Amino acid sequence: MSAGGHHPAPVSPVEQRVAALEALLTERGLVPAGFIEEITSRYAAEIGPMNGAKVVARAWVDPRYKQRLLADGTAAIAELGFGGPEGDHLVVVENTPGVHNVIVCTLCSCYPWPVLGLPPAWYKDPPYRARMVREPRALLAEMGCRLPDDAEIRVWDSSAEVRYLVLPERPPDTDGKTEAELAGLVTRDSMIGVARL
Amino acid sequence: MSTPLSLSDLDLPRRNGELAFDAPWQSTVFALAAAVVEHAFGGDREPFRRQLIAAIAAEPGRPYWESWTAALEALVRTLPGEPGP
Repeated sequence: MSAGGHHPAPVSPVEQRVAALEALLTERGLVPAGFIEEITSRYAAEIGPMNGAKVVARAWVDPRYKQRLLADGTAAIAELGFGGPEGDHLVVVENTPGVHNVIVCTLCSCYPWPVLGLPPAWYKDPPYRARMVREPRALLAEMGCRLPDDAEIRVWDSSAEVRYLVLPERPPDTDGKTEAELAGLVTRDSMIGVARL
Repeated sequence: MSTPLSLSDLDLPRRNGELAFDAPWQSTVFALAAAVVEHAFGGDREPFRRQLIAAIAAEPGRPYWESWTAALEALVRTLPGEPGP
């Protein structure tokens, strides 16, 4: 909410460049009508961290599913109907009382899109990408994720070939909850590994 | 506590499912890249990914979606019929 926001913001140079790209690509027939709206709404609504949350909740309630998930993430996640672009090779890493996992992409922004949706802004920014490798404990603490001193931190560098997903620990006192209720507890950040539940 | 926080310019996580787009042009350029990957490269994401890595490496401090835009511009220049780099 900015004061006096009655006038549209001036068009920035990058907006002009994107408009030029859109015009050029549309002219070349590479952007079917409605494509942009379809892609953005699909990522906003269908693909997103709720998919990952369902995977995590299933693993919490079904030990055999969890076994399959840790052995072959791509196949176990496909069992729930999730997959597709950027999800070719998904590897799930499990948090335990002594081990905390966190994911990063040091080169660009590789991310398990089919289960987590679009990466958050900070995931793609240089400070996160550099510091999570160099000083994960300090960065995690700054992000509000404090770990016991004796917990081992494992940092997983995503790539075009392998995308990681963190399986967070099931929170205490959740024995009576249904699978759907459990899925509601799972946050995106816990599946990146920058938060605990 | 200790180290000076260099995350000030980062959009720290606030809620589950937060979208990464701060402006409509960002979701547009995201979808445009998807369109080019799908319709000009037969679904092969690797050429775009290489351009994105190069664009980020060229100007590490540049905002992400601007690097994304630069990467897409560079990729489009490699399409047949374009003037080239």
